[in-house]
Amino acid sequence: MSAIPRIRVVDVHKRFGTLEVLRGVSFDVHAGNVVSVIGASGSGKSTLLRCINYLEKPNSGEVYIEGEPLGSRLDAGGRRRPRPLADINKMRRELGVVFQQYNLWPHMTVLGNVVEAPIRVRRLPRAEATALAEECLRRVQLTDKAGEYPARLSGGQQQRAAIARALAMRPKAMLFDEPTSSLDPELTDEVLGVMRELAADGTTMIVATHEMDFAREVSDRVIFLHDGQIEEEGAPAELFVRPKSERLGRFLSKYRK
Amino acid sequence: MSEGLRQAFDLSLFWDYRVILLHGFAVNVLVFLCAAVLALSAGLGAALLRVNAWFPLRWLGTLHVEVFRNAPDYVMLVWVHFVLPLIIGLAIRRRVEFHPFASAVLALGLVYSGYFAETFRAGIQAIPRGNLDAGRAFGMSERLILWRITLPQVVRRMLPEALNQFISLFKATTIVSLIAVPDLMYDVSMVTQQEMRPLPLYTGAALAYFLVIFILASGVRAFSERWRRKILA
Repeated sequence: MSAIPRIRVVDVHKRFGTLEVLRGVSFDVHAGNVVSVIGASGSGKSTLLRCINYLEKPNSGEVYIEGEPLGSRLDAGGRRRPRPLADINKMRRELGVVFQQYNLWPHMTVLGNVVEAPIRVRRLPRAEATALAEECLRRVQLTDKAGEYPARLSGGQQQRAAIARALAMRPKAMLFDEPTSSLDPELTDEVLGVMRELAADGTTMIVATHEMDFAREVSDRVIFLHDGQIEEEGAPAELFVRPKSERLGRFLSKYRK
Repeated sequence: MSEGLRQAFDLSLFWDYRVILLHGFAVNVLVFLCAAVLALSAGLGAALLRVNAWFPLRWLGTLHVEVFRNAPDYVMLVWVHFVLPLIIGLAIRRRVEFHPFASAVLALGLVYSGYFAETFRAGIQAIPRGNLDAGRAFGMSERLILWRITLPQVVRRMLPEALNQFISLFKATTIVSLIAVPDLMYDVSMVTQQEMRPLPLYTGAALAYFLVIFILASGVRAFSERWRRKILA
């Protein structure tokens, strides 16, 4: 394990008006690790993920990608300055995001969705981007739907297309924001299956999820978020079997039925 | 059939003057195309101001929409052609005159930019936020998001309404003869003065406008419906 974590989250606070959604969250994710973030709805999971790539700007605290702070940089005089948006964009592309609502672009085919950012942001030649996209679609078993528009796909297929879209940017880490919460149970498995394979391939992942089986079986570490703070964290074998906090115990018992 | 009615539908006169009239109709089309380009670009600009986070810009966009959307085409045409050059002339202390064609394009373009701005704005605001989040998450700049994600969807969504506005704009081009732009109506009135037979000429003009607008609009509508349906669940 390298010394510098792939992603380091340090004391991140986020407020919306008077509502404090994140109240000082810190954790590290090392290369090749899978960290699951669990917790009740409203505990701050989604906000945490959105703060990690600055879709929401944290009110305080910082996120580091391979040691480089996302929100600030050193100026010529060696002083810390807020990073301009164009520069944040450059850092963001290192993180692939998969959203709960898929957020595929409806006016582009599946292939169009996957090649868009590699061509426009990474400036890959179209042929190279297409080859890369086909490879990513193969990984999510969606090769036959490359020419379809998102509206013609099932939720599970849309989410797998969204995963391919994120993979095509060759990100340093993947962020999954409750990727199966909008899916029927029978479609959940096809998405989780793809995510298991990514994890097995050594993809660095942060997964906000309600899928406790997935969190237990696939994660290297699990973070239990409550009220915007980390209530408990640890290896899944430990955390799921012997939760230390009473809240986590109660939370997990709801999933045991 | 009464003599008047028979005359009204005797379109041979219209046919005799077809070359002059066709030329006039081409002027209508040209005014329409130029005004449409102006209306679309100024409308998009105003719509982007209207959805801006910064209040003064939003206010400026609203001002644009309200001023031009509430100005009647006819009044605007006369005002732009006769009053605006005076004002500009006073400001720069020089005699200014607008070419009638330029006045027509400017007046109609501005009036319709008010309508298009509202159509664009509704279209922009109908785009799910997640679509934009996805763009940002992959490191796309706001400009890239506008061109690649927002506008292509806005255009598809706004097509049916925009089509109606294009039709209205095309019809509005028939008033430009008032400031002596040599369009079809202008030519018709010129020929009428020579031939003293207004009925077939005006009937012919009405039929020509109707046929062209009807055929074009039906074609565009069918095409845009097919195109839209692909992306809407």
